[in-house]
Amino acid sequence: MPNKNIVRLAIPVAVGGLLLTGCSSDDGGSTIKIAYQGPLSGQNVGLGENMERGVQLAINEANASGDYDFELEYFAADDQGSETEATAAAQSAIDDTDVVAVVGPAFSGPTEISAPLYGQAGLAAVTPSATNPTLTEQEFGTFLRAVPNDNAQGAAMADFLAAQDGVDSVMVIDDVTPYGEGLSDVAVASLEEAGLDVQRQHVPQETVDYGNAARGVVESGVDALIYAGYYEALGPFTTRLDEAGFDGIGISGDGSKDEELVNLGGDATEGWYLTCPCTDATEEPGLADFAERYEAEFGLAPGTYSAEAYDITNMIIEQIAGLGGDPSREELYQALAGVEYQGLTKSFSFDDAGEFTNEAVFFYQVTDGVIGYLGGTEELIG
Amino acid sequence: MSLSDIWDVLVLGVVLGSLYAVIAIGYTLVYGVLQLLNFAHSEVFMSGGFGGVIALTLVEPAAGPTGLQSAGYVLLGMGAGAVLGGAVAFGLEKAAYQPLRRRNAPRLVFLLTAIGASFFLYNLAGKLFGRYPMKMPTMYENKKLFEVFGAGVSVTQLIIVLAGVLMLLTVDLVVNRTKLGSGIRAVAQDPEAAALMGVDIDKVVSRTFVLGGLMGGVAGFLFGTNLQVDYTMGFLPGITAFAAAVLGGIGNVRGAMLGGLTLGVVESFTVEIWGDAWRYVGAFAVLVLVLMFRPTGLLGERVGRTA
Repeated sequence: MPNKNIVRLAIPVAVGGLLLTGCSSDDGGSTIKIAYQGPLSGQNVGLGENMERGVQLAINEANASGDYDFELEYFAADDQGSETEATAAAQSAIDDTDVVAVVGPAFSGPTEISAPLYGQAGLAAVTPSATNPTLTEQEFGTFLRAVPNDNAQGAAMADFLAAQDGVDSVMVIDDVTPYGEGLSDVAVASLEEAGLDVQRQHVPQETVDYGNAARGVVESGVDALIYAGYYEALGPFTTRLDEAGFDGIGISGDGSKDEELVNLGGDATEGWYLTCPCTDATEEPGLADFAERYEAEFGLAPGTYSAEAYDITNMIIEQIAGLGGDPSREELYQALAGVEYQGLTKSFSFDDAGEFTNEAVFFYQVTDGVIGYLGGTEELIG
Repeated sequence: MSLSDIWDVLVLGVVLGSLYAVIAIGYTLVYGVLQLLNFAHSEVFMSGGFGGVIALTLVEPAAGPTGLQSAGYVLLGMGAGAVLGGAVAFGLEKAAYQPLRRRNAPRLVFLLTAIGASFFLYNLAGKLFGRYPMKMPTMYENKKLFEVFGAGVSVTQLIIVLAGVLMLLTVDLVVNRTKLGSGIRAVAQDPEAAALMGVDIDKVVSRTFVLGGLMGGVAGFLFGTNLQVDYTMGFLPGITAFAAAVLGGIGNVRGAMLGGLTLGVVESFTVEIWGDAWRYVGAFAVLVLVLMFRPTGLLGERVGRTA
């Protein structure tokens, strides 16, 4: 029965045809997408979603404002914070020709994989949070880092510890991720420069038991511990450190600065210091209004790098508008690379390598189960 | 390394090893009766962790509990872990493997199904419970209880080892002394003959899965208490426990126990000497070496012939 076969074929073809015309008929060429690449699932989803909401808020506000004659859309590229997912995530954004710029990648590891792909596609990738210092040395092409790198954070940690009384020896533990190792390299170098006795250990992210590592820290008798890694590992690690009887100073970086840290580590996280090249959107007076709008939209307070991601997205939107609302990827990258933009959190500009030109680092401390804002490095150490 | 260091490291190794041993039982029992590498067992283990978190979150453990309350919470957590682990293992066998057995599917299909079931289950858990790691509610103050030759032993560590030993003894008794055990051994030895002798193979297989699931579930709860619970928690302990089962001689219950403890202790000493980044190198080097000289594993034989 050839007729039946023709009918079988015809239906999907017809439906597909309708769908295709549906896509192309009503957008009039004015839809512009801004992508975000970061962990939207997996263990570090907490950090990823903080930024995603910042991006979404900026896009929603721009669309609602009526100031622009183009419609913006959000494009999610989930890399799970992992190198293995980074290629697929980047490719999905590159393949969608409506995407004109990417906020991200969020983590340093995936950035090493994704940034060269964005470079080949001429698609600007502006990261709010990938802080491994070596990233900007690799000439990815279109990579811009809108955050001080770990050189600033590692140096701030070392300066802070050197300024404390009774701290002579420090152990630095990293989680064997590009982020952790990068931060740890810098911290070790800065501590040695400051004349402190430094020991270094590697404890991979997926460790099934932090007992050995905690024992090692206590046995070494160090006065302070720097953990270069993410909150989902530091949480249980602090518990084991507490059990093992560690009573020195604990410091970690922006990868651990998430409220989940306190949920996972409980009382054991009390007193831990956290550094971050990010300001606290709920504490900084200029950001109070942003925090209110964020909370109204998503029902929760802004998290680490939410405000920075919001700023970057607005910066991109401003450049799109400046280029007449329909820029090519290449034009937009050129505009961003030469940008001078004053955001809510900081002013944005990049050097020739795409490195951020501003180096402020801020300190936080876990107090009574909350990550409290202490202030900038200069205010604390002087 | 001083003597007290050695004991410290040994304690950590035995604690981890007990968990591996209990999980390894699940792999080895199923292999014994079906010659199936049930890779979805790591997700049975994971569901035990979630069982514990859910049950304990529901009862909301009191702050500063009495000893009796603490014991109650721990037993509740273990019970919930066992129930969910057993239920998932039961469902897994009914939904994924029984239809294949009915159709006499080739081995490879079983293996692929196992891997598929594993992916399905952990992603389902991610959807249902979220992808954030969760902390087990505090059930007791995890203080140092006593010292063994200078090595401190905490409450959690004691619970893990005691529960582990108890479960291993129980499984050993069940397999060697009960009617179900004879059934398991008979099916492992020769399924056709067992069926001819009146053993209900479907029932035995199903109960074998449940037995392994109960153990795996409790191990999941204990592991979650020691670290944290999340939807990917099954993978690494699962692979290591599978290696432990192979090390001891897959299909051999006592072999799985020995293999688990060995890997735990080797891991702990590897970490102490070379650092955490080498954790699995030492353990798996031992596995490869043993298999080179004893391809059937430390204790060799299968379930059917051991007892």
